[in-house]
Amino acid sequence: MERYWFGEIEGGQCRPIAADPAAVARRLEELGPSLLRPDWTLAQSCGVVEDRAGYIALLGRSCIELARAQVATELSGPDVELLQMVRTLDETDHVVNLLLERAVDWQAVLDPGFTRKYRQGGKALAGRIRRSPSPALRQVGAEIESLGEMRTRLMREVSRRADQVMPNTSALVGGLVAARLMAEAGGLLALARMPAGTIQVLGARTALFSHIRGGAPSPKHGVIFQHRRVHNAGKEVRGRVARVLAAKLAIAARIDLYRGELDPAFIDRAQARIDAAGVEG
Amino acid sequence: MIRIGGVLVSPGEGGVYGERMIGSYRVWDPRRSKLAALALLGSEIDLAPEMRVLYLGAANGTTVSHVADYVEVVYAVEFAPRPMQDLLEVCRRRRNIVPIMADAGRPERYAGIVEEVDLLYMDVAQPDQAGIALRNLLFLRKGGTLVLMLKTRSVDVTQSPQDVLEETVRTLTAGGLSIRETRWLEPYHRDHAAIVCEAIK
Repeated sequence: MERYWFGEIEGGQCRPIAADPAAVARRLEELGPSLLRPDWTLAQSCGVVEDRAGYIALLGRSCIELARAQVATELSGPDVELLQMVRTLDETDHVVNLLLERAVDWQAVLDPGFTRKYRQGGKALAGRIRRSPSPALRQVGAEIESLGEMRTRLMREVSRRADQVMPNTSALVGGLVAARLMAEAGGLLALARMPAGTIQVLGARTALFSHIRGGAPSPKHGVIFQHRRVHNAGKEVRGRVARVLAAKLAIAARIDLYRGELDPAFIDRAQARIDAAGVEG
Repeated sequence: MIRIGGVLVSPGEGGVYGERMIGSYRVWDPRRSKLAALALLGSEIDLAPEMRVLYLGAANGTTVSHVADYVEVVYAVEFAPRPMQDLLEVCRRRRNIVPIMADAGRPERYAGIVEEVDLLYMDVAQPDQAGIALRNLLFLRKGGTLVLMLKTRSVDVTQSPQDVLEETVRTLTAGGLSIRETRWLEPYHRDHAAIVCEAIK
């Protein structure tokens, strides 16, 4: 029997399928690779379509239907929205920093005694700018502050979601770093397929490429540096901690993808190994 | 392909991505589309009304929409869901585009959809671009044309673009293609080369 998207041909006899895009899409979905390469004149003699235009129209509509369903499936994963949230968080940081930098310069013009020295972080600066003599600058200060609040809420939400979507990875490095790793990889599936060595340097792209191009030393850590056990580790053992942590993260990501629930036994063993890697000597 | 006062255009309904119009013709910008760049740089490739095209790496349908203005049917393969959303909107308005969400490196997945084509056009950001082209040759008729837009930076950033091009040309020749021309797409696209071949098999 010869199977085509428009029907089945056996001993010169054709059994056409209904000329309905939804039915064709289902057939393409189910039989996909087992279908033979079509010849439109066969579809015509089968009686599925009248002419060439009808052939393209039916196939086109069916494929649109199938592709729509495939897009919907791809976008329905729990990590897809989380990825957008992480990227929005990073963009927000960027925007707040740029705006604050500019507003400080603006305020310095209005107030010759103004300086950012000895002031603790952005919050104090933003407060000063909100009391600026210029109404327009006060407005900018208010926006910076509300963007900061938005950022804090978004960060909590990212962390909370990551705990659900990737419980094991989050248990090892916290929700925020886990989510950043996933976003850097491009999704949970992509992260779970990565070798530990790649996870270790995710987010250290510039350093990695200057290493590959020659000369520069290899990066020891990327995004995982943000995790306390890596950045608190002594210089001598930091590379080792990063390596061991990345190895456990690679396993954790796979458990998250394929099982999707916390594995306390694995976490206990992994934590012990990571802590042991941080002991000097 | 049609030019109006030196500007490359295609005949069709406008407003796909905010392109300029000259009368009822859509301006085809060589900076946005590598195929337009190739045509403007003096290549002999042409698109004709009876042509059937397999387009790998359709992305969000910018170049696809122009190709569809010229030819009979375009089978547009794209793997990523986000650009596919845009491509589907283009398909809804242009009835001669058949969208396929699949990996161009696994042609067996769409072998039951695509018929024999006259032109195989490829613009994918993958390391193994020559290999993908060879695997898709089964759709190309004898004497048909392959246009491969080689992103040398996707193949290997540590090699010089010239070496990547030579290596790719060798692979394609060994795979049974006759090279008709190779052309760098400067000044429109950096480190991109177009390879035009004929299927001799």
